[in-house]
Amino acid sequence: MSEALKRINPRRPFQVTAEGLKRIVLGVAGEAGASVHVAHRDATPKPLRLRGEPTGQHLVIAHADRGALTAHAHEAIAAAALLADAATAVTVLVFGDLSEKLAPFGADRVIVAAVGDGAHFDPDRELAVAAEQVARLAPRHIVMPDSAIGDGDLGRRLAARLGVSVATHVVELAPTGVAASWRGGAEMARRDLPRMLLLDPGTTDLALPFSGAGERVEIEVPPFPDSRYRDLGSPPVDSAQLGLEDADFIVSAGNGVADVPTLLALAKTFDAAIGASRVAVDDGRFARHQQVGATGKTVSASVYMAIGISGAVQHLQGIRAVRHVIAINTDASAPIAQRADLTIVDDAQAVMEQLLEATRGRNFAPGVTP
Amino acid sequence: MTATARRIAVLAALGRNPVSGKARPNRDDLLALELARQLGGDLTLIHAGNPDEAALGDYFAYGASSLDLVPLADGGDVASALVTRLAGYDLILAGSRAEGGEGSGLVPYLVAETLGLPIVADVIAITLGDEATEVTQALAKGQRRRVRVTLPAVIAVYPKALVTPRYAYARRLAGRVTTYVAPAMEPVASPWHREAAKKRPVKFRAAETKSGHARMLSAIVAEARGGAVIAAGTPADKAQAILAYLRLHKLIDW
Ligand SMILES: Cc1cc2nc3c(=O)[nH]c(=O)nc-3n(C[C@H](O)[C@H](O)[C@H](O)COP(=O)(O)OP(=O)(O)OC[C@H]3O[C@@H](n4cnc5c(N)ncnc54)[C@H](O)[C@@H]3O)c2cc1C
Repeated sequence: MSEALKRINPRRPFQVTAEGLKRIVLGVAGEAGASVHVAHRDATPKPLRLRGEPTGQHLVIAHADRGALTAHAHEAIAAAALLADAATAVTVLVFGDLSEKLAPFGADRVIVAAVGDGAHFDPDRELAVAAEQVARLAPRHIVMPDSAIGDGDLGRRLAARLGVSVATHVVELAPTGVAASWRGGAEMARRDLPRMLLLDPGTTDLALPFSGAGERVEIEVPPFPDSRYRDLGSPPVDSAQLGLEDADFIVSAGNGVADVPTLLALAKTFDAAIGASRVAVDDGRFARHQQVGATGKTVSASVYMAIGISGAVQHLQGIRAVRHVIAINTDASAPIAQRADLTIVDDAQAVMEQLLEATRGRNFAPGVTP
Repeated sequence: MTATARRIAVLAALGRNPVSGKARPNRDDLLALELARQLGGDLTLIHAGNPDEAALGDYFAYGASSLDLVPLADGGDVASALVTRLAGYDLILAGSRAEGGEGSGLVPYLVAETLGLPIVADVIAITLGDEATEVTQALAKGQRRRVRVTLPAVIAVYPKALVTPRYAYARRLAGRVTTYVAPAMEPVASPWHREAAKKRPVKFRAAETKSGHARMLSAIVAEARGGAVIAAGTPADKAQAILAYLRLHKLIDW
């Protein structure tokens, strides 16, 4: 009976095409389960949105954190690009060092105001720069992310300074107008497009059929001599006391982690909070409050190190807002590799030990000098 | 604390109970009031709106002793009405958002701009000095920041500041309201139209001009957004690759 069944190896060698599709090529020999060749996706560049010389522009203003903008700020750029017609350029004014490209989000010109650390509180100086750029560029609309602090704060300062029409906490926008939720979500209020828009997160789809020109200029920012504010710095917070939701660096363990003490040591080195998959929680290695995912916590860390986690959809739901996912897994075709920005294919124990070895004696906690 | 009594104003709006729709003190403004009470000093509550609103009395129950009221029709310019009563204060405290109407969080900024004062938002703690005040701001991800700001200043209180307003009925009876004349203002029609929130907001996205096949492809590509995969090398090399990645993106300080 059994010899009559034709067995197919489910992990036959496959290729990933430029479109991101898995292709099994018959007759190609290779190591079972390994992808033979990963072609780069998205090889064809998108067309430019702008046609010819622009006659006007929209301005987006945002703060950079560690060289990059938040997804929330990317949405503001995409929204400005979608609002713009073919003769309107999208200019982005960024405070702080920027190392990422903004053209994929629709930015035509990027003005980087080198104020050093974008997180430093110096509102008088930033407001002066922003107001000057608005006067110089005369933008049709000013779009900003309405983040809890930073952009939302600067946006309100700018609106008050310019005295322009403004809509804050915008939840829906279109070329015809905006909507904001009032009275804690009980009411929806609509109006025509104001000059200035502060957008809540999640208003705009980042998938654009076009690209911006992405020219970059750096501007010098003179210090503001008699600023009324002085940033006295941030006291270090003990990451171990932070909830997972608040953590910036999370080391997370799944079923592939057998040695919990090594993982805890690794988390301590990186000053990271500890997360776990449901399987690791269910079998008692971690506590329930450490579970990440659909039935656990939703996290928004900058770094999420997924060690021995397969990346089931229920788990991925919890890490949607994470900026950088690093996976360590013996299986290169685990779903987590589709989500991770860096996937290390190896035994978790070996890599964790080498990481500890390489960082021996170091501690990345703020305020601890190595 | 300081020898001279500071003059502190708290901007108070009226909110609405989300279930019954009844007017009540604005939650965020109660936090500002409680923080102001803890500072001591000479405290006045300032409200612009309907003078006949009974819920204003609840602010007394939460510890205010006097209230300056500037009559204002519904939809009027709150910030302009408030500044008529705001001269001479050392510190002006406000909540982050009004829960009643627009709730834009703009009023403290407009007040600060009109009076030419500095403003710090998302504040959870205040220490008063002689010419400046030191405040602690709540940032994202549990971080805190301390800021020194010159006086007089406007302070907007963080909505989750750890203070608990307490209600006492006896205080409600003792409060005193002073009603001022309404400032002469041109009535302006609000550009906003309100409706009950029914549907989920619609995402702003590019108009779909692609063929069905191209749409399917882009849906698949959007899902497969994997990054670099490192399979070759010793575990030590791979550990270095992780550290290099973290350093490249400035995620660790090394
Ligand atoms: C209704 C519902 C809700 C759920 N909610 C959640 C939730 O909130 N959170 C959650 O996490 N899960 C949730 N789950 C469970 C989820 O579907 C998965 O079962 C679970 O996430 C898998 O956990 P895991 O990746 O740790 O384990 P596994 O699926 O067993 O994966 C282990 C991974 O580790 C790798 N591995 C094994 N050994 C090693 C080694 N030595 N070195 C390196 N890698 C190794 C394997 O290749 C594999 O990829 C839910 C499920 C349901 C049905």
